[in-house]
Amino acid sequence: MSSRKKVMLKNKNSDYKLKVIILGDSGVGKTSLMNQYVNKKFSASYKATIGADFLTKEVLVDDRLVTMQIWDTAGQERFQSLGVAFYRGADCCVLVYDVNNQKSFETLESWRDEFLVQASPRDADSFPFVVIGNKIDVDDGKRQVPQKRAMTFCQANGNLPYFETSAKEAINVEQAFEVIARNALAQEEAEEYTGDFGSSTIVDIGVGSEREGCAC
Amino acid sequence: MPDEYTPPASPTASYYDLSDDDEDYSTITHTSTGRGVKLLYTKSKVYVHPTPSAKDNIPGFIALIQQKPPPSENTSSAPPGTVDPAQLLLAWLPESALGSAYDTYVKVDLLDTSSTPKQTYLVPPPPVSSGTSSLGSYSFSVPVSQIYSLLVRPPSLGWWWGSIVINSRGGDSFPALFFHDSECASTIAQGRARTAKTFDPFGESGELFWGGDEVLRWLKRYVKVERSEVEKSVYLINPSSDDLLSFGQKPVIDAMAAKRNAEAGSSRNSAVAVMDPFTKAIKTARWTLLEQFARVTQFSRQTANNLMDNPNLPPQVRKLLRNPDVITLQDDFDSARLYLARWAMGIAEQSEKERSQIVWKREDIMEMEDSAVGEFEILDIEAGNLRIDGDRRKLVELKEWDSWWNKTTGRLEITVDEVKERIFHGGCDQAVRKEAWPFLLEVYPWDSTKDERAALMNSRRDEYVRLKGSWWDDLSRREGQGEAGEYWRDQKNRIEKDVHRTDRNIAIFAGEDTPHPDPDSQYSTIGTNVHLEQMKDMLLTYNEYNTTLGYVQGMSDLLAPIYAVFQDDAMAFWAFVGFMERMERNFLRDQSGMRAQLVALNQLVMLMDPLLWKHLDKAESTNFFFFFRMILVWYKREFDWSDVLRLWEALWTNYLSGQFHLFIALAILERHRTVIMDHLEHFDEVLKYINELSGTIELNSTLVRAEALFYKFQRTVEASDRKNGFPSPGTPQPMVRLTHRRSESSSVSSPGFPAPAAGKGKAVDGPEITEPLRALLSREILRVEKKKDAQAEEGGKGKTPVRE
Repeated sequence: MSSRKKVMLKNKNSDYKLKVIILGDSGVGKTSLMNQYVNKKFSASYKATIGADFLTKEVLVDDRLVTMQIWDTAGQERFQSLGVAFYRGADCCVLVYDVNNQKSFETLESWRDEFLVQASPRDADSFPFVVIGNKIDVDDGKRQVPQKRAMTFCQANGNLPYFETSAKEAINVEQAFEVIARNALAQEEAEEYTGDFGSSTIVDIGVGSEREGCAC
Repeated sequence: MPDEYTPPASPTASYYDLSDDDEDYSTITHTSTGRGVKLLYTKSKVYVHPTPSAKDNIPGFIALIQQKPPPSENTSSAPPGTVDPAQLLLAWLPESALGSAYDTYVKVDLLDTSSTPKQTYLVPPPPVSSGTSSLGSYSFSVPVSQIYSLLVRPPSLGWWWGSIVINSRGGDSFPALFFHDSECASTIAQGRARTAKTFDPFGESGELFWGGDEVLRWLKRYVKVERSEVEKSVYLINPSSDDLLSFGQKPVIDAMAAKRNAEAGSSRNSAVAVMDPFTKAIKTARWTLLEQFARVTQFSRQTANNLMDNPNLPPQVRKLLRNPDVITLQDDFDSARLYLARWAMGIAEQSEKERSQIVWKREDIMEMEDSAVGEFEILDIEAGNLRIDGDRRKLVELKEWDSWWNKTTGRLEITVDEVKERIFHGGCDQAVRKEAWPFLLEVYPWDSTKDERAALMNSRRDEYVRLKGSWWDDLSRREGQGEAGEYWRDQKNRIEKDVHRTDRNIAIFAGEDTPHPDPDSQYSTIGTNVHLEQMKDMLLTYNEYNTTLGYVQGMSDLLAPIYAVFQDDAMAFWAFVGFMERMERNFLRDQSGMRAQLVALNQLVMLMDPLLWKHLDKAESTNFFFFFRMILVWYKREFDWSDVLRLWEALWTNYLSGQFHLFIALAILERHRTVIMDHLEHFDEVLKYINELSGTIELNSTLVRAEALFYKFQRTVEASDRKNGFPSPGTPQPMVRLTHRRSESSSVSSPGFPAPAAGKGKAVDGPEITEPLRALLSREILRVEKKKDAQAEEGGKGKTPVRE
């Protein structure tokens, strides 16, 4: 099923279409990060995201042209149950918190678990997550989560890549997404290599040949 | 005697503009002070069926009545010798309302109708009705000049009674009138006479002779009656050339459609030739059908398996899933996880359920491929007609609003429906909003006096202050360390975060010149303004009023326009409470309200536009998630500020449906159906496209289109009910479940009877009107049922509702 999805996501201009999901508490800056990365813009007047939306961006990863489809979702827990509609087929999940908000950091683990439940990737242990601590532009006195603590968390959870960013000042955003793209691509390739032997062989055979047809 | 009517200098558009409702009232008011009106023709035992139960049927008379022309009006509008259609009234009166005039009606019923009446019979003028039929009494009369069309359905096998529905030029439908021919003395007599004369009990076109024919015959003596070429059951009254073009000689809008129509036409004539491709089509349908069913079952089984058996499932989650009773006691995210699991299961179940009790059968959709092409062109024309009637879509200004209220008592002097009709079609001027919104949002009862409202508002103000005080003065919550304090501060943070990003482009919310009252707030360095602070207070206070919901994103979007219009916190608060009565289901923890609406939308699209639905289904988009935002906050993010105000007040009227917002969704979808069907093939593409419509949708045409779609929906349901042998209720009957299918009627060949509503030509089995669909006919709003103990909790402030 998931490999069928991948094929459909193929874009004629680029080699791969990578699906990235941004998760995290309401107000940590998910929409801002996405907009800074894709449109190089920051607006102080974003509205709370309702439902879900995505932006796409074409990037070169090691000489390969990939299209990233970055999904931005509503941050309130109550709406997360909607995720099932668009988590499927994700290649990377970005967990965002606000370094000035302790609670948004504490919920990261739950966001991670929740993603795994809904997206149900083949191998949960190897699925790529990237953690971002946003809003480092806010003055130091307000910071609630020390860098060290965040890094300890990322190490303990399977050496997750960790970035501290400011979507407002465009600090580290590009760098974070470069890693996101790279890891997503690796995930995509790993999945293709492993193949999908587990289920629905009929569908996969048909789709597999279709994929080969358009890959060249 | 003219059987074929030669039209007088045909009434121009400006004439219709002149003869709006007010003037017609005055005409009848005039005659009612005089001697009465002429009863030209009448027919007895014409029933209104207000409910599905036969015992509720109301017997009455349909009558064609001539009233005196209004004295002051220019009499030159109709040439001598003819009757101005504005003078003619088509009326229905229950037997019980006739009083002493009953005998006259019986007498006129039995007169020979083969010619124009020779003698004048006077009866009391019938009551005037403004159109809608939901006002208790079903009697009505409508000037013939105001009739746009008649929907005529002769009796057929499986449906004993023929019926007529009158559609006014204003777009109103009157209750369906059922002709109980077997009880009607005149119809029995006329039928007998016919048989005696021609030995043919059938009418001219080979159809059974029935009462409705007579009504058409009466009208033909005075006005032009044209049967629509496109929809055979529609008869247009004094149609304009545009009407004729659209309903009669269908213009060749596109060559393909014309070709298909021609093909459909020719295949109808040669039934044998049809058989083979038909069977072939069915065979292909079966294949797709099986294939798709297989995919669905696989999907849902997989979802369930993934949840229960996935080795990667975190152990806590598995535990939660196994012990559903324990879950509510878990902390925030554990219960959130349960909800999402439930949601996921619910979706899977729902989609399976939907497929087993779909609106259309898949074969039916296949069958429609050829015939449905012209449908939406007809809709365009209908929408065009709705748009034309000028005055109804005029803004309600303060002067007009004030004229509806008694100067001294402040009591409403016209019907609530009339007010709602005006607001629904015209919208409120800025100055009227402050006056009208408290009624629309149930702060004030419509039947109150000025003094009663003042008293009510005083107590509401006190109550607002009390509710606000319950957190404002509660230091244990504002500063305390306990659970209640934690919850309250969490709520405050959520609210603050959203208020600071709600409608900041609107002048009153823009300023940041006031220092933030709370130095610990993340906004303390930015500054705030008094209106933002009021918004925060109101949302926090709403938690005191509704102690179970908690703040949910989107609520600040709902409050902002209300507050901006009133700029009075207590009034805005209670208006918001009224709005939340109907919006609360959007914010429920289990998302059941949102899901129900998305399901209803899914079924609505399937019923109204099966081909588009089929395309969306192929694109894995029938979850309709791309309408989530639009439905959650009623298009707040799609339209600009002033359009949102206009749209919301129209929706608040419940004028046509308590869920008219779903028809807005359908209208938006229909507007873009070609692009969607030609270019969008996957869920992400559909979602992106719909999301990006934000800021591009033209409101007025959308409202008109939604209204046209509603009428079309109503007709479709009626047609389906009729096909099922189910009486068409004159007023909406929510939540009636149809269980029996109508196979018996489709298996019997019935020459001469009209084809089912949807299929132009080929026999398509009718749609299934599901509960969610039927509920769309109701003008009631759907409120969240309050548990008893939730009410009892009132006053138990500081209660911690179930956490997210």
